[in-house]
Amino acid sequence: MALKDEAPAQTLDTLGRVCPYPLLLTKKAVEKLSSGQVLKVLCDAPASAEDSIPRYCEKSGFGFESVKLADKWELFIKKP
Amino acid sequence: MVSTAMFLLSGLLIGLAMGWSLQRGRFCINSAYREVLFQDYTMIRAYLLAVAVAIIGANLFEDMGWLMSNDGTGAMVAGPLYRQAFVPWANIIGGYIFGMGIVLAGGCGSGILYRVGEGNLAYVLAVCGFFFGIVITKFGFLKPVYNWMIAEERVVWVGEDTVPTLYNVIGVNKWIVIAIICAVLLYFVFQGKPFTKAKKGYSWSLAGLLIGIVAVLAFWASAYYGGRARGLSFTGPVREFFLAVFFGDSKAPATESMSLLGITFSWSSLYVLAVPFGAYISGKLLQEVKLKVPPADELLKVLLGGFVMGVGAQIGGGCNIGHSLTGVATLAVSSWVANIFIILGNWTMVYFLLIKPMQDMDV
Repeated sequence: MALKDEAPAQTLDTLGRVCPYPLLLTKKAVEKLSSGQVLKVLCDAPASAEDSIPRYCEKSGFGFESVKLADKWELFIKKP
Repeated sequence: MVSTAMFLLSGLLIGLAMGWSLQRGRFCINSAYREVLFQDYTMIRAYLLAVAVAIIGANLFEDMGWLMSNDGTGAMVAGPLYRQAFVPWANIIGGYIFGMGIVLAGGCGSGILYRVGEGNLAYVLAVCGFFFGIVITKFGFLKPVYNWMIAEERVVWVGEDTVPTLYNVIGVNKWIVIAIICAVLLYFVFQGKPFTKAKKGYSWSLAGLLIGIVAVLAFWASAYYGGRARGLSFTGPVREFFLAVFFGDSKAPATESMSLLGITFSWSSLYVLAVPFGAYISGKLLQEVKLKVPPADELLKVLLGGFVMGVGAQIGGGCNIGHSLTGVATLAVSSWVANIFIILGNWTMVYFLLIKPMQDMDV
């Protein structure tokens, strides 16, 4: 099942936040997740949604999917 | 002679190209420095690649005699790169203050400008704060401090009146120094697999390459059209842009300015105007432009950050583009020293603003 179809344990809203807060808030929220849970992040900062958050997930070995909507991204992060 | 149309066009085009490249490449020197602390070297590699391109290109243009500018009589003559005087205290303190400011503001001198084009209103405040900081330092209540720091007796020269550079202080050929620096930079850059493609926008390596090329072109254009090979920078130009907007005069040297309808503005102030538009066009095509605003406390922090940046940049003689890219490319000692302290200021503020609060929260 794709991550975006799983029910997220938490939705984090970072809309409007300036760099680097989307990444930091995401890190903080992910740390609190239990294994197997999915975090959904709403983000509209291009550099965070497309660069820093995906890179952080890749390096940490988290599952990551992103859906680009008209005015924001929905990011899905799964803790293994 | 340079025509009015070419003066305007060249300045605006350089700004558009810069804004476009910054937005596409998500280029941000602030996060480049910051991420080093978190062992992520992607963005710093993009920055170092831009630096290597700029060093080689700028010095090649200089030595080939391609930096032609008006000598005051209308004749075009080849000139040197503009290298900043070395004022140790100002470069160190100003650089350090500026480095702290960019963390608060969430973007560097170029970052806050291009992100205006992406629609986050916080950065409009950051740019205002940046201008306030610059003006207060150069003309306002911080002027005594500023004038003391940059006073003539504190300027360090090599010999009588030569600006210190990395090669003239050790007395070797410029290209030996360039070869060594670029070998080190490129070795590090190529460790980062520069040929992997980005999912969207530009890969970090393409971004770094493009920004390096724009920086080199800016040296040429600023000499040919703007009267002096000062290259890309944002501190002086942001000041000149707003002075022209507010008072009708950039207060820049006449050889670097033009008057139109009674408004006197510098060549550099044109690209300041164009950078947000370049970023806007790029962002619009990627559907990434949206008006947005962060919470109030973050807005205030960003405004304060912009102000701190302005004070630091004016004292230190430049921002992360003027020193860390353009200035570093000229191999001027002033810019290398300022850049080191910009990095240290950045790390200090990252510790207090980001690392420490997160540690405290975990307990």
